Amino acid sequence: MITAMQLISKPFLAGLILFALLMAGCLPSGPDSGANSRTITVYGFSIMKEALEKEIYPAFKAKWKKEHGEEIEFVSSFAGSETVTNQIIQGAPADLAILSIERDADRLVEKKASPANWRESPNKGIVNKTPFIILVRAGNPKGIQDFTDLAKPGVKVIHPDPVSSGGAQWSILSIYGSEMKKSETETGTADPVRANSTLQAIWKNVISSPGSAREARTQFELGQGDALITYELEGLIMKQTNGPIEVIVPKSTIFSEHPALIVDRNLDAGKRPVVEAFLKYLWSDDAQKAFVKFHFRSVTNEAYNDENKEFAKIEQPFTVDYFGGWTKAYPDIIEKIFRDQVQRK
Amino acid sequence: MSANLSSVRHVHGFDVVKPLSIAVMVGIMLPLVLLPLASIFIFGTGNGLVSFWAALTAPEAIFALKLSIVTSFWATVFNVIFGLFAAYVLTKYSFWGRNALIVTISLPTAIPTAVAGFALLLLWGPYGTLSRLFGVDNVPQIMFTAWAIILANIFVTFPLAFGVIKPVFDTMNRSLEEASATMGASRWQTFWHVTLPSLRGAIVSGALLTFARAVGEFGSTILVSGNLASRTQTAPLYIFAKFNEGQVEAANAIAIVLALFSFVIFSILFFARDWLEAE
Repeated sequence: MITAMQLISKPFLAGLILFALLMAGCLPSGPDSGANSRTITVYGFSIMKEALEKEIYPAFKAKWKKEHGEEIEFVSSFAGSETVTNQIIQGAPADLAILSIERDADRLVEKKASPANWRESPNKGIVNKTPFIILVRAGNPKGIQDFTDLAKPGVKVIHPDPVSSGGAQWSILSIYGSEMKKSETETGTADPVRANSTLQAIWKNVISSPGSAREARTQFELGQGDALITYELEGLIMKQTNGPIEVIVPKSTIFSEHPALIVDRNLDAGKRPVVEAFLKYLWSDDAQKAFVKFHFRSVTNEAYNDENKEFAKIEQPFTVDYFGGWTKAYPDIIEKIFRDQVQRK
Repeated sequence: MSANLSSVRHVHGFDVVKPLSIAVMVGIMLPLVLLPLASIFIFGTGNGLVSFWAALTAPEAIFALKLSIVTSFWATVFNVIFGLFAAYVLTKYSFWGRNALIVTISLPTAIPTAVAGFALLLLWGPYGTLSRLFGVDNVPQIMFTAWAIILANIFVTFPLAFGVIKPVFDTMNRSLEEASATMGASRWQTFWHVTLPSLRGAIVSGALLTFARAVGEFGSTILVSGNLASRTQTAPLYIFAKFNEGQVEAANAIAIVLALFSFVIFSILFFARDWLEAE
């Protein structure tokens, strides 16, 4: 009679058992494995990566070691701001979040993941800012000078998806507000019809809407599209590596302001002090200088920004306050105008 | 007559249809499969082999590959054992709802993997069904850990091993099993000594298919894993993250590993099937 043992050859079986043991040995346990040193888990929106990983984490680690004699580690995950927020709401183990838009911070509060008083941090909880600009190909072959030029027929625009990306929402506010501001200076009254039609015409030219500002930049870098509306910092990073692009500064554009807050739902009493210390550190001179070095603009000291010659001068800048803050800008512009009128056309 | 003609052609003349049809086949495959794969290799090694090797041996990349292999392995172990068991039960017994069960097992094939991901979140997450029923503190929070990745892998590869094993069960020679039973063997003995050996080929191909599919899984993992580098970031998530960061070369280095990996798996499948199914 044939048996299983005779048929499955012995070396094969031995190999299988060995493989199984090997696998069993390295099955990762939960998120707290290897916790010899304390770990701060940061969830950030897509463009925060370089400044944090290259400068701010190492600097804070050294500072904490010096002051408390304790090693700490950082782990982080970066994606579109809305994506990050949804992950945290669904239970992702974040200790601290740095988001693109205040609306996402308020969503964390609403789901009881973060403290309601996050605006009591320095500078109302905003850690840095950057204006929105247009990236075009070297030599500007499509002759783009302002947002309105993106509405011209035949211009292919890359624009991240406002469903998952905070940058995409800034960009929409930027186009809309820019037209409102300009019409205001030209005629004395802001013209929402003009702003609406420009936004619609630009959206018709959008060929791709990636999940985050960083993903959008990668698509642009790989040769898709004629123009990309994004954070100034993204353009400066590309210029630094001699990317064949040009930064076009619109006459009037928005400064995006990025909030940071702790996720206290995930913090126990023992860990809270170090995470709060790190949060506070983000407004320190060292951290603000690091942000400027990595092309963000400081919110605590304009002198740092003036020192950095790569930053563009913007003729008519504005912030989300122009729309009455995010609590009004989101329902009024992103939902009622962009989603209901522009996107569904 | 025509049969004669073609055999003559094979022996004496040169059959133009043969090279022509092969060329057409490869020509169709070229833009659809072969060239895209080739671009991965070209891009991945574009900056020279040194930086390719550096991208490959980055600690985060190695962790991601390891995590993918380990989580896929456990999903495979589970799904092969379950597939075997389910195929046995569903072939052996006839009962009310049997067809409904067979259909249910096959469902994950057609469900978008992202749906699998948020279905798991909606069950296990802090706002999910289980937490609502039993209270958040009584439910193990396994989402955003390696367990979540294993669960996602199990879900999306659920029908694969079963799908390979079940047809072999259906067509199996029953007389051997019956003979074994008449000789006084217990059910377990019959299963171990008679049924299992004839399923060897199906088990191995089912396992390899499940494993290969799980290693490449992306859509559900991105939702349930948390995507933390060196913690819960699998190889496909690593590729996506690097691509998003604009590090296309680093993304391609790991993509090459996964491409070679599936090549090896399907080569094994191809050659091992004959060897295993030979009695």
